[in-house]
Amino acid sequence: MPRVEYQNSLDALEASFQETGEIVLRAVQGVVDALRSQDVELCDEVIAFDDEVDSRYLSIETDVEMLLARQTPVATDLRLVLAVLHGAIHLERMGDQCVTIAKLTKISSHLGPRGAVIESLVDMGDRCQHMVRVALDSFARRDAAGARSLNDLDELVDRANRQVFEQVLGYADQPDVLEWGMRQITVARCFERIGDNAVDIGEQTAFLVTGEFSEFTDASR
Amino acid sequence: MGAPALDSARIGELAASVPDDVRSREAVFAIRDLSVRYENVLALADTTLHIHKNAVTAFIGPSGCGKSTFIRCLNRMNDVIPGAKVSGEVLYHGRDLYGADVDPVEVRRRIGMVFQKPNPFPKSIYDNIAFGPRVLGMKKDLDERVERVLRHAALWDEVKDRLNENALGLSGGQQQRLCIARAIAVEPDVILMDEPASALDPISTARIEDLIHDLKGEYTIAIVTHNMQQAARVADLTAFFSVQLDDGGARHGVLVEYDLTTKIFTTPGDKRTEDYVTGRFG
Repeated sequence: MPRVEYQNSLDALEASFQETGEIVLRAVQGVVDALRSQDVELCDEVIAFDDEVDSRYLSIETDVEMLLARQTPVATDLRLVLAVLHGAIHLERMGDQCVTIAKLTKISSHLGPRGAVIESLVDMGDRCQHMVRVALDSFARRDAAGARSLNDLDELVDRANRQVFEQVLGYADQPDVLEWGMRQITVARCFERIGDNAVDIGEQTAFLVTGEFSEFTDASR
Repeated sequence: MGAPALDSARIGELAASVPDDVRSREAVFAIRDLSVRYENVLALADTTLHIHKNAVTAFIGPSGCGKSTFIRCLNRMNDVIPGAKVSGEVLYHGRDLYGADVDPVEVRRRIGMVFQKPNPFPKSIYDNIAFGPRVLGMKKDLDERVERVLRHAALWDEVKDRLNENALGLSGGQQQRLCIARAIAVEPDVILMDEPASALDPISTARIEDLIHDLKGEYTIAIVTHNMQQAARVADLTAFFSVQLDDGGARHGVLVEYDLTTKIFTTPGDKRTEDYVTGRFG
């Protein structure tokens, strides 16, 4: 088959994307563990680790620029390059959400009553990890149906987000818990965004497979 | 120097501009089941497609796929090749191009052609343009006509002071633009181009491509090109031809896919098209 070097570049680009995904999964795992154990040191590790995600993202962006400039990809190749670029941005955003979760966990670990709220957040984090895994695998397998299933998984994360909100409202009569509660609502919101970013990667997979881009759901959901 | 900034007053207008689907325009050519044989050997099989008015239609495909054979049918250039036999139907504005009452010379006036290698006459720049109109009796205001078509071909500023010099003294790119000017001097309806830029350097190629964009407002253009990115850049519609082997091992050209250029280069419908445009053919 001709264009061996070109194919190698495309393969390498996709491998970088998947590798970045694995690193982000470790970051999500890190914040879930840190939440569960309220481990401040682990929070610092996750925060420091984000530089790795950022540099991987920048390297993908450079590779995409080089591929477009030198190889002029079209058709499926072009969709792959675009989907990797978009997907990588979503992964980078997930990394940033993990940093925010780590920072919030760090500054609120000595404040709150923990308990059920933390359990709910850990549950959200587990669901997010699963979603990122599904997003990466369905991309790798060019599995549009698998990518679409992220929508249902995201619905559960959204529900858990609302549940955390309700749980924190339960502390409304305890002013000393207020700061802690607000920070946990923000943590839940970060997980909710990670879920959304996983769905966004799923949309890129559907675009890659079908050639048509559409959002899986409209803004009303 | 960086690119000029976008004119902010035109942002709304620019953002709202949506190109229309050229397939809704009148079909200048309606081709059905067109086949070509040379000495009874099939070169191109059963091609059916429409070529639309004021659009650029590109024909791409590997060597031997019949794309040049195909566009040569559109102005009866195959008539001059001994042993060539064209079958099927080529309707030009609804009229059979191969009908007994059709004058091939008139066909070639209405449907001009530009070839791969610039082929100006070994005469002055002026006479290269003036020759066709003179032969056809379009003698009125000849100087104006020469200036108009040279301007139209984006060549006037480069040659206006040496119209009486031999055209062979022009650069390759200028010669090719002269050939395009010569083609439009006789007021054709269609311009066929067979690899018009393959012998030119990148700057001359860009000039020809700009010219193609300008000319399609007035003419219908069909272009054969080996350069896929050129098709992607200039054409509204793209037809991909490929080579097919028959049971006896003989090869002939077939039309594989014909669609909007954007579709051919983003989501082609046929695996063979995808393999070709991504460079994986062969």
